[in-house]
Amino acid sequence: MPQIERSIVPRKKKKDQKPVFLIVLCVVLLLLYIVGSNEQTLGIYLTFGIAFGFILQRSRFCFAAGFRDPVIVGSTSILRAIVIAMVIMTITFSIIQYHSLLQGIPTIPGHIYSIGFHTALGGFLFGVGMVIAGGCATGTLMRIGEGFLMQCIVLIGFLIGTLLGARHFPWWEKNFINEAPSIHLPSYFGWPGSIGLQIGVLMLLFYLLKRYEDKHNIML
Amino acid sequence: MAEIRIDCLYEACPIPLLKAMKKLKKIAVGDVLIIETDHSCAIKNFTEWTQKNNLPCEIVEVDNGEWEIRLIKR
Repeated sequence: MPQIERSIVPRKKKKDQKPVFLIVLCVVLLLLYIVGSNEQTLGIYLTFGIAFGFILQRSRFCFAAGFRDPVIVGSTSILRAIVIAMVIMTITFSIIQYHSLLQGIPTIPGHIYSIGFHTALGGFLFGVGMVIAGGCATGTLMRIGEGFLMQCIVLIGFLIGTLLGARHFPWWEKNFINEAPSIHLPSYFGWPGSIGLQIGVLMLLFYLLKRYEDKHNIML
Repeated sequence: MAEIRIDCLYEACPIPLLKAMKKLKKIAVGDVLIIETDHSCAIKNFTEWTQKNNLPCEIVEVDNGEWEIRLIKR
């Protein structure tokens, strides 16, 4: 493989960003202290938010790329990472839900919503939007933090969309969503059966995605 | 050996990769293609794609948050 000669020198000297980092770190810690001492749960939320942002930025984990790259370049590495994340979530959420049921909490923790045609339609619309915008919600926020200007425009659109959606949601809920069934798998198959089924399906998906990547080498 | 630059500043994924793919078809073998980008995810995109297609690729951070991706057509 021919090597590219390392000939280029930086056009301008890079600015040292350490002072900015220290200032931002101080502001974040101060904010965490103020928020956390007033209301502990909000402090925990903020800590998790910062941790999520840091991990997303460092790992380049991008949901939009995960669902887009298989089609555009035939690479499924991020999508397979999402599948692995779902396996981990399945196991941990089962533990959380089972634990809370044992303690006699009547409602099952977690977002359990009704599924139906509207779920698929909403997913499709969101998918089209996020590929054009170049990022989903977390990706957009992470890149604004990085200083990528284009995503600021996306954020404005995102806010408008969210506000409109929140305003019109009751009508959709009344006409389409309420009639659809909510399904909690453990109520049908039992805990071991439902966890086994879900992990089995996810592992099958992982295997199929790996085979797809090996077979497809898309070069436009 | 010509050097071809494409300006992908302010463009989000997957535009830099798509532009590079299009340009790569037109240039001659041995030419160097330089993609200027400020989108950090494009770096990950490119490293994966070039490895898969066995293209020599070098990435230089020319400024804070600004990269040059250099490819050679084979």
